[in-house]
This record gives sequence, C-alpha cells and structure tokens, in this order.
Amino acid sequence: MLQVKNVSKSYRLTPVLNEITFQMQQGESLGLIGESGSGKSTMAKLIVGLEHADGGQITLNDVDFQELRGAELRKARRHVQVVFQDPLASLNPKLPVWKSIIEPLENYPDVVPSFLKEVRNDRKKMAGILLEKVGLDRNLLERYPHQLSGGQRQRVGIARGISLQPNLLICDEPTSSLDVSIQAQILNLLKELKKEFNMSYLFISHDMASVQYMCDRIAVFKQGVLVDLFLSKDLFSDTRHPYTKTLVEVTVES
Amino acid sequence: MTTLVDFSRKPTNEPVKGEFLLQSLPLLEIKNLSISSFGTKKKEDIKLVKNINLSIKPGEMLGLVGESGSGKSLTACALLGLLPKSLKVTEGQIKFHGRELINLSEKDMRRLRGNEIAYIFQNYQGSFTPFIKIGKQLIEALRSHQKISKQDAKKKALLWLERVKLPANQVFSSYPHQLSGGQLQRAALAAALMFQPLLIVADEPTTALDVLTSETILDLLVDLQKEYNCAVLLISHNLNHVLKRTDSIAVMYGGQIVEKGLTNEIRKNPFHPYTKLLLQARPVLSRVVPEKLVVIPGEPGLVAKEGCAFAHRCPKSFIKCSILPKMKSVGDSHWIACHAKDSEADDTNASSKKCF
Repeated sequence: MLQVKNVSKSYRLTPVLNEITFQMQQGESLGLIGESGSGKSTMAKLIVGLEHADGGQITLNDVDFQELRGAELRKARRHVQVVFQDPLASLNPKLPVWKSIIEPLENYPDVVPSFLKEVRNDRKKMAGILLEKVGLDRNLLERYPHQLSGGQRQRVGIARGISLQPNLLICDEPTSSLDVSIQAQILNLLKELKKEFNMSYLFISHDMASVQYMCDRIAVFKQGVLVDLFLSKDLFSDTRHPYTKTLVEVTVES
Repeated sequence: MTTLVDFSRKPTNEPVKGEFLLQSLPLLEIKNLSISSFGTKKKEDIKLVKNINLSIKPGEMLGLVGESGSGKSLTACALLGLLPKSLKVTEGQIKFHGRELINLSEKDMRRLRGNEIAYIFQNYQGSFTPFIKIGKQLIEALRSHQKISKQDAKKKALLWLERVKLPANQVFSSYPHQLSGGQLQRAALAAALMFQPLLIVADEPTTALDVLTSETILDLLVDLQKEYNCAVLLISHNLNHVLKRTDSIAVMYGGQIVEKGLTNEIRKNPFHPYTKLLLQARPVLSRVVPEKLVVIPGEPGLVAKEGCAFAHRCPKSFIKCSILPKMKSVGDSHWIACHAKDSEADDTNASSKKCF
C-alpha cells in the first residue's frame, strides 16, 4: 500500500533523511523508533505531504504525493490521517468536541465511511457514533477540550483520525504525554480499532516496549538512516543491529 | 511563628563524611503532611495531599510514583517552600537536617533552596533564563549563595560542566537555545550539584527527553549522587526508571501514600491493588507480547472523598474501604495502606506467611 523508495531530505545543508526505503501492506502496523532528531517525524511529514522530499519517491495506493498539487493532493490526503502527541495542542480550544471530530468529514463532504452511512447528513449523530467508537460517552459532545482529561482528549484526537476511515493512520508519539494507566487504555483502543477497520498504522515512538506491543514490524532510525527493519517477533534475535540492541537493553528491566 | 533555626550549627556544604551516626537518622522527614487548596473566601476547599509520611536517609534515592494529580509534585513543592499562594500546608511537619521547614521565613528558605536542597525540573528550557549565557547564570547562582570570587566561581562552574560530561568551555559561553534538550538538562544537573547539596529533588527530570538521553542523564545523576552521598527524591511516572535506580519507592494515589518500601521488595511483592495494576499496565519488552494490556478501571483523578482514595477504581474494594486504611508493615521495610490485605491475611494466613 505505502511505498517509500530512496527518500532523502535535508533542511538547508543538514541531511535529515538518507535514502530511506520501506514498504507497508494494508492492515499492517509499522513502528518507527529512534532518538529525537533521528528523522522519524520528518518521515511522517513527507508521507502526509506536508514536506517535499529532495529525492526519492513516496506512493500511497500507487499515487505519488510528491507530484500532486492543490485539489488533487487534498483528495489523496484523505487516506492518511494523523494522531498527534499533544492532544491539547491539536484540538481547537474554541470548538466543542463534536465540531472538532467532524471537521475532517466536513472538509471531505463526498466521503462516506461505512460505519457512518445511515447518518451522513446528521453532523451530531456522526460525532456521537465516533465518540462511542473510541470509548467515550455521548454526553461529552458539547464539552470543550479544556474540560476533558488528557486521556479523553487523546481519544477525541483518535476519533478525528479515524473519522474518514483512512487507509493509513500515522500516530506520532500518541501516548508520550499520558500517564501509564492511560497509556495502556489508548494502546488497547488503537489495537482494537485497527482490527475493526483494517487500518495500517505508522506508529512513531521512542518507547521500544509500546512499539513492540503495537506493531508487526519495527524500523529503527538513527541519524536519518534506517539502520534496522525487522519483524517484531525477531526483536531479541542476535542478528539485530547493535543500535537496536542498545535500545532494547535500556528498556529491558534490570 | 516559631523558627527553630540554629545557624551556628548550619551544616557545611561538604557532604557528611564519616558522620556515621547521622547516616542512620533520616535527612528528611515528612510527618503527617496535608496540603489543601483554599477558595476565594479563604475557606478550605479540597484536601489535595492527605496525611503523608515519608523519610529519606542521607545518600538514599527515593522514588515517588503515581499518576498526574496524585500529589507528587505538590509534596515536592511544599518541601521547597514553593507552593502557590492558593495552596497551604494545613498540618504536619517537614524536618530537614534537624530543621523544621514549614513556617520557615522566605529569607531562610531562600538560603536553603539551591544550597542544601537542589532541584531539577521537567522543563529544562525553564531552568535557565533565555537571554543570559549559561556560564554567567552559573556564576551568578554560585555567588548568590557563597562568598566566592568571580574567577573561582568560573573555575567551579567549568569543573561541574565537565563533571556532567559536557564540553565545558563551549557550553559555558552558550545561550540556552543553542543547546539540545539533553545538554540543557545536564547543565541543570551541574547547576544543582555544584553546591553539593544534601538533597536533590528531581521532578520528572527526563520525561521530556528520549529514551537513550534520559538513561544517560539518570545514570549520571546516580553516579554523582553516590560520589557525593546526597539524597535524591526522584518524582516520576515512568516506573521503569524508578524501579531500575531507586533504593526505595513510595506510591501515591489521590494524595495518599498507598504503599512504600524498598524497591526490590515492591517489585517482587507489590501488595496494594493500585501498585499491582500500575506494574501490570505498562508495556514491558518481552518475548511474548500480550494480546491486551491490563487497564486500571475508571478515569484517573477519580478519588474517593472518604476512606481509601483508590476505592472507586479498585477491583478489590469492599464496604470497609470507606474507612481510611492505616499504614501497616507487611514485611521487611514494606508498608501498605489497604484493607483488602487484612482480610486476605485472615483468609489465607498460612500462605501469606510464606511471602514474608
């Protein structure tokens, strides 16, 4: 579904990504792991088409995002949605929750996700269904973001992310700003939704343990280079890149 | 206001070396501490921290864990005398090195803060003023606490920047924005340690940093802490860090300490349902990945007003939980506050004995 081929990117003279190549299947989840500044988020930006690569090719369902402009890019983008790290910053503080949730649906009036077929004309009902999908009560519809807890806000962010039933959901550190107990809830929720909608996840994180829990395959970035790409179950294999081993070592309990 | 400060016996900045008698006495003792918020009419509103007891020995590293809003940071703020105006300590004592810290005048507190009790905060950008070079800020800090010439202060600052494994000269003449997060947090660590304090309060020191950087920073903290025998209060919600490095742990929920004891003891035999769930809820690297993570039922911040704060979310709660459970010993240096444990012990007296 997603193909990334020899992608390079530099900001001014600093190389950020160097000849990155990987593929993703529909329904697969791939974890991107690495230190801050290793190029994980830049990769995500390139895939969504927020930035342009210096070289290489990124295709989603055989459409090259780098070639598209304007209306066509917009149309193609509905297949990729993003859940961000900081839910408070990614929701409009002046909009009640339900308006935030259906914003993507209003931007793409001709998109009819399968689970919203019957109510596509009723905005509040759609928001209600989406809220229930992420395990929140309908009576939160009229609330504003500041009236919600961190975990609830992140769920709203996820509801927004799945509203267009995208092929690919990019989760950029979705649990980094949350407590341990909430982190577990959100990870479980993401896993359930993935099964329900057969979505693919690009799961960006620096926590090896949650990436292992969430993903089928793991890609390790170091200073803009993809140093290791493997199946999650091979994480402890001896053939892992030394850098991956260090990452595992610091995460494994002593 | 009674301030029992005897400055003739003010402890030196040198760490206690050879004073073995002092070693066994706690350096910091928090007794029965309660903190409440006060509304607009000066009426007591909500009790945020409820009768907590804690003690730290010299050179000990204590981890304080719990979810956001459980009162970890408030406890630290009370200890540093940095509570916001709307919050007040309503009862209890904080004894540090033989001195009572509550009601200490602002002037005396300021003398203590930074010098004997140092602190490292989560947001490293906030630790330094953005428009002044790091070196100048370090010198300024040193000269505000000690009688020291500018040259000596510079030497000392450079020495400590080196000790935290930074390129000293370069960092010394850099502005905060020119450094990375990890570098800044190291510089903050240097600023905290250069006074060779007796206690460091580290409030989520690495939450904003990535895995490898936070590992190195915490390792550095542990090394230097051992070398200078200073105590550390490490506040974190990252259980991995706390379990890996601390000597003992206190678990807080809803303003109460629900379990405390030696780290190894708690890792092996967590008793309180909250501690147990907390330990299970985090994803752990393992060969077998679980299908689902264990989830603590209910929303965080759901605190029972009467009795055990965790009662509404606790899978084991029963009628008795509406009465506040008392702290009791359940083994070698291990205390919990939970009724469920009592009844369990009654039921299976024989098997529970094995645990101890």
